[in-house]
Amino acid sequence: MIHTIQVDLVLRETVATPYRDLVTRPTGAAVRTWIQQQVSRLACHTTLLDFSAVGLLDFSCADEIVAKLLLGTSPDAERFFLLRGLTEDQREAIDHVLDHHALAIAELDGPDAPPSVLGRLNVDARAAFRAVAEGGPGDAAGLASRLEWPVERAADALQTLALLRLVAAEGGSYQPLAVA
Amino acid sequence: MTRVVEVPTYFDDRALDHFAQAIGSWPPDSRLLLDARAAKWASPYGLIAMLTAAQAVAEAGLEPPLLTVPASEDVRRYWARAGFFHHAVDLFEIHGKVPRTVPDEESDVLLTVTPVKASEDVHRVVGKIQERAAKILSAELGLQAKATMGFAMALSEACQNIVEHAGTSGWVAVHAYSWRRRLGRRVVVIAVSDAGVGFRRSLEATQASRYGDRWHDATALEAALLQGVSRFRDPGRGQGLAGIKRYLARWQGKISIRSGSARLSILPVWDDDVPLQDGLPYFPGSQVQIVIPQQDAGA
Repeated sequence: MIHTIQVDLVLRETVATPYRDLVTRPTGAAVRTWIQQQVSRLACHTTLLDFSAVGLLDFSCADEIVAKLLLGTSPDAERFFLLRGLTEDQREAIDHVLDHHALAIAELDGPDAPPSVLGRLNVDARAAFRAVAEGGPGDAAGLASRLEWPVERAADALQTLALLRLVAAEGGSYQPLAVA
Repeated sequence: MTRVVEVPTYFDDRALDHFAQAIGSWPPDSRLLLDARAAKWASPYGLIAMLTAAQAVAEAGLEPPLLTVPASEDVRRYWARAGFFHHAVDLFEIHGKVPRTVPDEESDVLLTVTPVKASEDVHRVVGKIQERAAKILSAELGLQAKATMGFAMALSEACQNIVEHAGTSGWVAVHAYSWRRRLGRRVVVIAVSDAGVGFRRSLEATQASRYGDRWHDATALEAALLQGVSRFRDPGRGQGLAGIKRYLARWQGKISIRSGSARLSILPVWDDDVPLQDGLPYFPGSQVQIVIPQQDAGA
C-alpha cells in the first residue's frame, strides 16, 4: 500500500501563493517539512509524491524538497519515496540535485511503464533496479542468475539499491517498491 | 558640493564601468547628480544599476542623488514603460518631466523593473513572466517551447541570490531587444542587481582563509560561479548558479557577474568579451546579467 501526496496541494497549504510554482528554498523547506510530518504519521512505508499539477520546479526547491527529504530520513526507518507526474524540466532539476548529493529516487513515468531512477546510480545498480522492478522479489543468487553475474556483483548492486531505498531489503531478499 | 555623474549615452553592462568610474570613491564624498540628459538607450542592466547606486547611497545614510531625466521624450517614455521612474521617484530627487506612462510588460519589456526583497517576490516574478517569456522565446528567439521553463528557473535562481546573499533588497528586469552591434541578433536579457554585501564579503567567513592574500572580488566570483561555493555550509547550496550555467550551455547563453571591482563571465562562442576582469572601478553590491540569444535557424 502506498500513500499519495499531491505536492501542489502541499504548496497551497504551506505557502500563501496564488502560483503553482515550486521556487525558492524557503518554499521548498516548508513543503518538505509538511511532507515529513505527514509521513511520520503514516502506517504505510511508501509515499508517492505527485507533481502533476506543479508548474515550475527550480533547482533550489528541488534540493530542499527531494534531496533533503531523502537526506533527512533516518537510515533505520523503513520509508520509501516515489515520484510521479514530472515534466522534463522537473525531472532534470531533481536528477541534477540528487546527483550532486549522490542520492537517487524512483520515478513512475506513466501508468504502465516500469519505474525508472533519477539521480546518481552506478551501471550495475541501475541494471539491478530494472531487473528487480521487472522480475519481482528475490535474492542475490536469483538476480545473479537472471543477469548472468557473479553472486557478489549482484549482492553489491542490491546492497546499493537498499542503501538508496530503491528496493526494500528483508532478511537477505529484496523486493521492488510498491507502486500501487 | 555635488558630483556630476554622466549617465552613459548607451548604458549597458560594459558602460557600467564608466558609470562606476564617474561616481569615484565609495561611499561618495559629495552628493551625486546623475545626468541622464544625453541618454539615448539603457538596457535593463543599466536601468537597475542606476537604482542600485541610489539605493546604496540611501543605505549609506547619504543625501538622495539628483537625477536629470533624458532630454529625449522617446527615451523617457521607454524608461517609464520599463518601470524605472516608478521606483526612481523614491530614491532620487528627480529634475525634469517624468512621463505619466504606466509601466507595462508590452512589446520588448518582459518584466518591468521589479524590486526583490523576499521569497514571495521571486514567486511573483516567476509567475508573471512565464506566459510572456514563452511567446518571446519561441516566436522571436526560435527556442523550443521547453526552453521557457528553464528560462524561468534561471530567473528564479538569479533573483534568489539577492534574497539569500545580498543582505538587502535588489532589482530585476527582463527585456528583449536586438543586439545589433554586439551580436547582430535578438536577445532576451535578464538583469539582476542588488546593493548588498557582494560576493567577496558574502563568502569571506567560509572561503577567505583558503585563498589567503589572493582573496578578493575576482577570486570570490570564481569560487561562486566556477566552483559552486556558497557561504552556507549546507552541501546542497550553490546549485542555483550551476543550474543557470547548465541552461545557458544548452542555449548558447551568457552569464556575467560583476561584484565590487571584478566581473566574471562564462562566454558562449559568439561573444568576444573578456572572461575575467579585475581592478574595475568599484560598484556596490552584485550585478548579474544573463543573455539568451536568438537561435540559429538550424539549432
